Amino acid sequence: MRGVAVWFSGAALAFFLTAGAFLLLANIATVPSEKNLAPEPPDASSQDVVELQLNADQLASLKPKPDQSLDLTLRNESELTLPAVNVTLKVSSENTALSGSRYYRKMVEKVPSNGTADIKFGINLSEPEQRVTGRPASEPAREILEIKAATPDGISTTKTVILPP
Amino acid sequence: MAKPGLLVVLLAAVLLIGCTPAEESSIAPLTPTAGRVDPGLGPGTRALSSGPGYKGSPSWSPNGTRIAFTMDGYVMDRPTTSGESRRWTTKDFVATDTEWTSDDTLTILGAASSSGRGAENSLYRANAGESPLALERTAKEVLAMSPIPGEEGLIFALASGPHESELALTRNGGTTYRLYTNKPIKGHVSALSLSPDGDEAVMAVRPPRDPRTSELRTFDLRQREGREVTRLKGNREIVGTPQLTQHGIYFVSGKQTSSVDDDAPEPFFELYRVPAEGGASELAPGVGADFVASSIRVSPDDDRLAVIGRLNPKSPINLYVLDLAAKKLEAITANEDMEIKTDPDDLAWSPDGSNVAIIARGTPSTEAEVRTEPANRLLRDFYNLYEIPVSDETAR
Repeated sequence: MRGVAVWFSGAALAFFLTAGAFLLLANIATVPSEKNLAPEPPDASSQDVVELQLNADQLASLKPKPDQSLDLTLRNESELTLPAVNVTLKVSSENTALSGSRYYRKMVEKVPSNGTADIKFGINLSEPEQRVTGRPASEPAREILEIKAATPDGISTTKTVILPP
Repeated sequence: MAKPGLLVVLLAAVLLIGCTPAEESSIAPLTPTAGRVDPGLGPGTRALSSGPGYKGSPSWSPNGTRIAFTMDGYVMDRPTTSGESRRWTTKDFVATDTEWTSDDTLTILGAASSSGRGAENSLYRANAGESPLALERTAKEVLAMSPIPGEEGLIFALASGPHESELALTRNGGTTYRLYTNKPIKGHVSALSLSPDGDEAVMAVRPPRDPRTSELRTFDLRQREGREVTRLKGNREIVGTPQLTQHGIYFVSGKQTSSVDDDAPEPFFELYRVPAEGGASELAPGVGADFVASSIRVSPDDDRLAVIGRLNPKSPINLYVLDLAAKKLEAITANEDMEIKTDPDDLAWSPDGSNVAIIARGTPSTEAEVRTEPANRLLRDFYNLYEIPVSDETAR
């Protein structure tokens, strides 16, 4: 009787060891299942943290000349004070063959919860270099202002302004 | 007692390992170019590019996995699914057209930008495996080009004199070519394409002392013989690239206007068909008397013609497919508020004939527009490439 029990225990032990080894290997070799995984929404948290507000009247008054002003309002929509927000502005042409994008940067410190900060950029909107590209004359390139506000946590929000020619 | 205890521990370990769900990992959000979108052209449309840039001349690679195009004068290509773009030319070069001659070789028609607008175009070869942005010139004073379907070669027309053209062949993406005949074509070739079987070329030609592109010619590449098919009378001329099909030669014709007045009426171009052996041209059967055509391309299976145009002068521009045998026209896009580009080369079939690439944008505003995405992810605000699915049963 004892011999039967030993044999039974040995067989069970061998079975579980083998099954465990196979399950372990299967878990190591298999990529995580993608079933039922929701895609991560882009910049989901940024909508609740920082918001950039632009003045439509001022945008309408911008001219393709130097010494233009762009005023922004940065709103902290989180429950915490933001120690610093890095605001960058890129001015480029719709004509991607033209180099000479212009970059501007402002650092805003200590934006209180649900508070705002006003930012003023002095920008140059004069037309970039003129040279032959593949764009026909009937398609004048528009200026593009790309404004990005980023917190130290890496959360960012973007506003892109397309100015008429 | 120790053995049953060990068995319980082992059983628990096996269950723990085996039943623990695999660790979840976040899936990156799809880029605007990766999925089907409806930018205003109808369901099933997929963006193949995004962001600013004046895009043109789409061309699918022979295996259909990449698409090349011109953008503000330089040449780009990108995967047709998702992935990074590649730039093939530098900013001191202005490309007007590009075609794949193999899955990793592009042939580019263009000129150095320092030459100024209107400079003579040359033909260049660029290979993805070689040093980036390196172009090798194949021929000078090239007027038009067309890839050979199913082969790693290209036929092109080059100016051999003030009023003469010649056809030439280059193979395997090489930088050498050979002329087809010692007997030049009278006039300058303005557009060139090959039949889907690659045996014959059709050309739009501007004859000597004629300011219009008024002559339609074919050239049999096997027999090395060419002939005039038809010549348009009056002030009409051939617009864009004629297409040689098993049901005849299709071409767009109309009266070009030289007016720069924005209020001037849009030129009225119509789609015509003429027998390949020559004869009188007729309005293409199946499109309707009021149809206004812009650009055309024959499908790889030689059965269908993709047409960008309007059903009548007041209807929106759409992509249509004409079943050449059944003479039946079907709208592929459902355009409501998009501007579809109508330049002659802004239309391309995928190699398997299941998709057509077109270029479109939303109507630009006269006021400043604010978007919440980075510029390089915007679609409707700029001319971008769209893949339009076309089933085999379309128009049949």
